Amino acid sequence: MTSTPAAATGDSQPAVNLTINGIAVAARPAMTLVEAAWHGGVPRVTGVSCLESVCGSCRVLLRRGKEVTVDLACQTFVEEGIEAVFLPPQATPKHHYEISEFTDSWNNLARFHEIFPEASHCRHCHGCVRSCPKGIDVESAINLAAAGHFRDAGEMFLECVMCDLCDSACPEQIAPAHVGLFCRRVSAHFRLRPPNLIQRLEEQRKERLLGQASPDSHE
Amino acid sequence: MSNGGTPLAQARALYRVDSELAAPPELADPDTLLNAFHPDHLRSSVVKLAVGANAGENCQRELAQQLQAEAFIDEADLAGAPVTDTDVLIIGGGGAGCAAALAAAGRGARVLLVTKLRLGDSNTVMAEGGIQAAIEPDDSIQRHIQDTLRGGHHAGDPELVSAMAQDGPEVIRWLIEEGMQFEQTASGDLHTRKAGGMSAARIMHCRDYTGLEMMRVLREAVIQHRGIEVWEHSPAVELLSNERGQKCVGAVFTSLLDGRFRIVRTHSVILATGGLGRLHLNNFPTSNHLGATGDGLVLAYRIGAQLRDLDSFQYHPTGLVHPPYLSGKLVTEGVRAAGALMLNAAGQRFVDELLPRDIVCAAILRECAEGRGIRVDDGRVGVWLDTPRLERSQPGMLERQFPKLLARTQMSGIDPRSEPLLIHPTLHYQNGGVVIDVNGATTVPGLFAVGELAGGIHGRNRIMGNALLDIISFGRRAGVAAISEHDRGPKKVTLEHVNQARRALTLAGMPLTQRAPQILPDYAAKGIWNR
Repeated sequence: MTSTPAAATGDSQPAVNLTINGIAVAARPAMTLVEAAWHGGVPRVTGVSCLESVCGSCRVLLRRGKEVTVDLACQTFVEEGIEAVFLPPQATPKHHYEISEFTDSWNNLARFHEIFPEASHCRHCHGCVRSCPKGIDVESAINLAAAGHFRDAGEMFLECVMCDLCDSACPEQIAPAHVGLFCRRVSAHFRLRPPNLIQRLEEQRKERLLGQASPDSHE
Repeated sequence: MSNGGTPLAQARALYRVDSELAAPPELADPDTLLNAFHPDHLRSSVVKLAVGANAGENCQRELAQQLQAEAFIDEADLAGAPVTDTDVLIIGGGGAGCAAALAAAGRGARVLLVTKLRLGDSNTVMAEGGIQAAIEPDDSIQRHIQDTLRGGHHAGDPELVSAMAQDGPEVIRWLIEEGMQFEQTASGDLHTRKAGGMSAARIMHCRDYTGLEMMRVLREAVIQHRGIEVWEHSPAVELLSNERGQKCVGAVFTSLLDGRFRIVRTHSVILATGGLGRLHLNNFPTSNHLGATGDGLVLAYRIGAQLRDLDSFQYHPTGLVHPPYLSGKLVTEGVRAAGALMLNAAGQRFVDELLPRDIVCAAILRECAEGRGIRVDDGRVGVWLDTPRLERSQPGMLERQFPKLLARTQMSGIDPRSEPLLIHPTLHYQNGGVVIDVNGATTVPGLFAVGELAGGIHGRNRIMGNALLDIISFGRRAGVAAISEHDRGPKKVTLEHVNQARRALTLAGMPLTQRAPQILPDYAAKGIWNR
């Protein structure tokens, strides 16, 4: 039994040498970059939370020779010679909308382009696609969204963890992850009307009315 | 803990996806099994609390050290700290905190939500299986209440359970209105599943990303709400009290980025800080996120709040053993609900896989302790979760319904469609917590507690899908109740309760060496937070 994920394997195998935030670390093979950062005593690594690549916090910049990529540190394994830098937290999004203010779904596309005016400016540079740690075809999804195919676009973002690495990569600052979330939200908000749920809500409403009618019954 | 066991490679070679399986042995007496093998019943695991509102009661040993520790700050630390005023202060940025924030702000309150890590960094985001609400024609609110109480060994508070179950359908509707998606059947109904301890199909889900879907929707809703201000990377180090130390009137925060203290004054504090898996109770691995260090329990106890069931924790049966970097991470109970069986090293079933979690957990620990487990190189032991057999009986089902499981295991070269998963119980959930009423109010005026931090709902064992319901139901209830506090707010904010707690510790002869809350596990705190 181990209490920390980092303490799993013995010291028999040769170390993997890399740098994290500029600090040399001798890690064990099969460690993730988060485990390696802890193992190597790298200070001030604040952007770590779920350790299973769903929270989108542990964003890292990776340098292998001349190649530079981004990923999530908890799903990236140590490699000899790799340079990893933990990135600062995401900026607060600049777009604004409250879903409760949406009333007429015929206007959704117009509202979408007001909220995300950059979404129709896609240059097809593939930066978002290359940066996505979840392998989402971000670019195609954004173009679907800009054409009003919110449900299909939203479905493509099912596995999105809102790490916003796509936003960092976008020269037009489209904020693709938030576009994807918008698509999912309007689809649920306007289209999800499940009969089994509605039936039970209706039963509960009638029970409440009955309860109010008889003065001696309380919840 | 390990007693022999079959080496992994050998067990893999022995495994057959098409082997004949006998039914598991009848479980004659669950209590005997729990007493012998469940970690709550380890004799070394429980101590009696010496001070505080629960003095004399049982408490898990490592938690007791936290609850009976010294505070980090005294009055001198507050001199010159900037002060912020707000109507409602919410501490914690997971599902419960966000639900509370949206409920309070939706009724016009100024809300400040402060969170230790990033907004949404929580256990909520990792929840896979789903959320319960009694919506099917053959189900009822009453059955939901009964299943919850029975699953919790009748230790839960029926009033709280009833409130939560009644809220269920409305909670789902609210989530859909906020923009959360759920799986549907071909006819448009919400798809439901039956899981451990349930008398009807009642789990709704979004593939196996239910928590992620919920959290990203609520997080976006909070960010976008004009009435809610959010401070991230700001752990609470102490609550604030009035001159008599008897009412909560605010809190003190530090910053993981610059280490400075900040004071917030308010008339309602909602604690929504989640669980404590990262205290690694009884040296178990955990499924929890890095910030789950039980801070809220420590803060609530120090200001005098009553807690309950502090010796009862949920060790989820199916935590991964292999690969090592995912140690303790969860395989959702949804996989068992979908039909996956568990096998020991000899390829035999040993328990009905859909019994309540504590019983299944104890049964796995029995197999491991008695040498029928499967051992990996570093000595840890587990049993098989037979995913290939499930895939064989329902081809394509793992890919359709459990994409997260596939993505995660395949990254490390394991394909659960062709290879069984090695699993072992993992510290998953705090069953007990702060005593609350149906509005989330604690025994301390001005202080609310919601979500995993609160106790009394799940008794001594939570059944699947009730955590996500609990956080939204009670989060919203507390958000509404918190704005109905009508006093004019605090005249003076003090640390009087800290002085009182310190006196009590000294009188009881307790050492004042350890400080709490923990904030971060020691292995992840270097240069960020010094205890």
